[in-house]
Amino acid sequence: MPDIVLKNITKRFGNTIAVKDLNLKIEDKDFVVLLGPSGCGKTTTLRMIAGLETPTEGEIYIGNRIVFSSQRGIDISPDKRDIGFLFQNYALWPHMTVYQNIAFGLENLKWKREEIKKRVQELAYLLKIEGLLDRYPSELSGGQQQRVAIARTLAPKPKVLLMDEPLSNLDAKLRTEMRSELKRLHKEIDSTFIYVTHDQLEAMTLATKISLMNEGILQQFSPPLEIYDKPVNLFVADFIGNPTMNFINVKLNGVKAGRYILIHNEVEILFQPSVYKDLDIGEDFVLGIRPEDIEIGKDRGLQGIVYSVLPSGMETVIRVKIGELFLTLITFGRTAFSPDEVCYLNFPTDKYILFDKREGNNITLGNIISIEKR
Amino acid sequence: MVKTLNRFKTYIKKPENIILITLIIVLTYLVIVPLISIIHDTFVVHTSERMRIRGKQVGEFTLYHWRNIFFGKYSDHIFYKPLYNTLLVSIGVSIIALALGGLIAWLVTRTDLKYKRWISTLIIFPYVMPSWTLAMAWLDFFKNSQIGGVKGLFTALTGITTPNWFAYGLFPIVVVLGLHYTPFAFILIGGTLKNMDANLEEAALILKASRFRILRKITIPIVMPAMLSTLLLVFSSGISAFAVPAFLGSPVRFQVLTTQLFRTLNGVNPGYGYLIGLVMIALGTGILTINQILIGKRKSFTTVTGKASNVSLVSLKRLRGPISFTILIFLILISIFPLFIFAIQSFLVEPGNYSITNLSTIFWIGEGRPDIANGEPGILKNKYIYHALWNSFRLSILVSIIVGILGVLIGYAVVKKRGTPLANMLDRLSFFPYLIPAMAFSATYLSLFAVRRGIIPPLYGTFILLVIIGSVKYLPFASRAGITSILQIGKEIEEAAVIFGVPWYKRMSRIIIPIQKPGFLSGFLLPFISSMRELSLYILLVTPSTQVLTTMLFQYNEKGWDQYANAIVLLIVLVVLFSNIVVNRVTGASIDRGIGG
Repeated sequence: MPDIVLKNITKRFGNTIAVKDLNLKIEDKDFVVLLGPSGCGKTTTLRMIAGLETPTEGEIYIGNRIVFSSQRGIDISPDKRDIGFLFQNYALWPHMTVYQNIAFGLENLKWKREEIKKRVQELAYLLKIEGLLDRYPSELSGGQQQRVAIARTLAPKPKVLLMDEPLSNLDAKLRTEMRSELKRLHKEIDSTFIYVTHDQLEAMTLATKISLMNEGILQQFSPPLEIYDKPVNLFVADFIGNPTMNFINVKLNGVKAGRYILIHNEVEILFQPSVYKDLDIGEDFVLGIRPEDIEIGKDRGLQGIVYSVLPSGMETVIRVKIGELFLTLITFGRTAFSPDEVCYLNFPTDKYILFDKREGNNITLGNIISIEKR
Repeated sequence: MVKTLNRFKTYIKKPENIILITLIIVLTYLVIVPLISIIHDTFVVHTSERMRIRGKQVGEFTLYHWRNIFFGKYSDHIFYKPLYNTLLVSIGVSIIALALGGLIAWLVTRTDLKYKRWISTLIIFPYVMPSWTLAMAWLDFFKNSQIGGVKGLFTALTGITTPNWFAYGLFPIVVVLGLHYTPFAFILIGGTLKNMDANLEEAALILKASRFRILRKITIPIVMPAMLSTLLLVFSSGISAFAVPAFLGSPVRFQVLTTQLFRTLNGVNPGYGYLIGLVMIALGTGILTINQILIGKRKSFTTVTGKASNVSLVSLKRLRGPISFTILIFLILISIFPLFIFAIQSFLVEPGNYSITNLSTIFWIGEGRPDIANGEPGILKNKYIYHALWNSFRLSILVSIIVGILGVLIGYAVVKKRGTPLANMLDRLSFFPYLIPAMAFSATYLSLFAVRRGIIPPLYGTFILLVIIGSVKYLPFASRAGITSILQIGKEIEEAAVIFGVPWYKRMSRIIIPIQKPGFLSGFLLPFISSMRELSLYILLVTPSTQVLTTMLFQYNEKGWDQYANAIVLLIVLVVLFSNIVVNRVTGASIDRGIGG
């Protein structure tokens, strides 16, 4: 039922624009992640959906109900929006026990005492905190506090669950664990989740759709793998993926049989676009290559010198120097290469992306037919 | 048009916005308008000046006051000499407080001094007690009979007559005020030393720097901002000190700006008084503004991490015993000993006669004898005293409640709207009274509230005016406490309740206030203590029916009824000390559980 629609949402703080003309349609039962670097407006967007922040302009619908409109002067208060909000630092009330923390909101919503008790028990079971109900938040570990916060948020059975970087205060191991629990929870409670994070790995693994923002402007709103494979611009390409995509500044030197001849210093690349477009000869472009789309070998290919080797057991990140150009690549498992060794690179996939340098937009995907020194 | 209206509607719906706007309007009237009024009053003829300023009607424009204060024949006498004395006192006081407070702070935090707990407790005493207690004690102990009074305890015990310079005037004023502000320096510098990352000093120790060199090259530069801050705060306190110079300076006609302000405002030349008040305000705000700027700048590179440190302590070796003992005795002398003096003095029938037969409880529970102090009854039987005590309590309680509530509201609104122009404005407005010397501030109120202004009736002489000025003057403490408390909570704690539709008053009463109870309570209790012992803020504004204990004390002292004065001092000190214990209990006892989740 509750599709969430943001129409032309703009938020200004004084002279700075936090969110600019944002349009977003979130479907029922989606797990949408608002992703972006700090200060990109993702948290502000979440808070505006919750009603904790008032947009300067625009309209917000939750379900079929309009909850905010600057034009019509509508501003429904947070408690009437049927949402739950999970805060980054949990915001547990330190002077109340776990039970009181979960029950306080329900008391305020005029639930009956027995119902409250039943609901708290239910949530305690769901989140495995049955033994902690009489404790104070300061007596809990970070992970336990997190569970209590989730229980408190879920207590009134919100249709939409808004989460503001809920895992960022946990250590790495616990974070992975909670991540899978959140995904499970999403399946179990049948609500729409909107989740804010700056961690692209979290976004990739959790989301059904990612909304990537930068400086208050929506960059791309797509499923995770689509955002990974087909980033709409340089910013998205750069932000998603670790290690980051390699970017090679190139100049279009000519076109031959529907293929672009791209030049970077002494390197010449023959690029086969998946969709041919007329481009101006002599114009600057950027060629984006994901590290896993480069193969390293001992013979045949573009010659380079190994600059550094970073093994992490499961995979190895290698940095290779080709003249003035550095390329990062990743191989599965261990590698036989060591620094200062000569190596050869190959580019076997069709996922290389040509960006327009000035605007940063994705022009086309394609494959590299040949790459060699002139 | 509709949009603007809508925006206004959402704006006014939020409690923080209502608080901001209301308080800005009220505080502007209570802080800024009095300043304008006092400036105006330096340019007009006042009723009592009609005979002096010839050819002008009351209320007419005149430059008489400005001319006479700064360039007149008697300028030296009425203005420059007191100004010079004020600066002299402030400099002397700063040096004593800083040197003594800093030294003891260093000894306590960095050496193997003995009795550390006793010393850190006792040293706070002189600051908790009203400044004039030490002045009274000094007079009781060291006064001589040359001025036309009776001899003090010291002369009675030793037979040595104290010289005038020792008993009255600059020297005792500087010593007494210096001792009063020593704890202040101790707290500020000691706090910094304690929170300083020990690694900074240990790093130097490993590099084989000598202890003295570490102190000079590392420790002192790092605590420099705290010392500078202390210096400026003590200096400006020295400027606004009234009671101590009044007690110790008046026997030898040693005038400072505050005493001069009091004389002229109560005399025939209020215009002079207002102008002196204005000069003091300029001095006070100037110095403290410098302090604020310095604090702001220095913060960025102080490496005070707040990490608890275990510095290896400097061994005092053979001097350990003697130094520890000397400091302890000294502190007992200035903190507990005065109380005994007051007690003794208050039982002497004939002042200066220290024999056993001269002891009596007449000044405590006597019915009053016509041959002593015009038949004034003893202070426990004296209805005027009870009246003043009642006034003091009533005033301090009202002030602390008002200030406490305003502190919470200001803290809430300023933090909530942090960074907006209105929030900054309220923040500064509520802090501004701190910069204005107390007596000069009350002069501005005298100027503004002496007559009807629009719908506001003349409040001079009313109890309400005392409540208002007390509330405004102590607001800075509470608003600071409020702002830090709310900042510590973080906005999410409140928003978590907003999501459940908890109304504002309930968010305040069930969540915000319970969480920061100790912080807010100190916002209530500190103004109470300050107000109980306040003299210079109220003295210009009280009338016989609104007398408080401190102003009563001042009058008894002026009349030379020493025994009554001593008895009242004892009474006030006990009330203040008792309240202070309550503060410590309350603020210390409730941080035990749950905070910091």
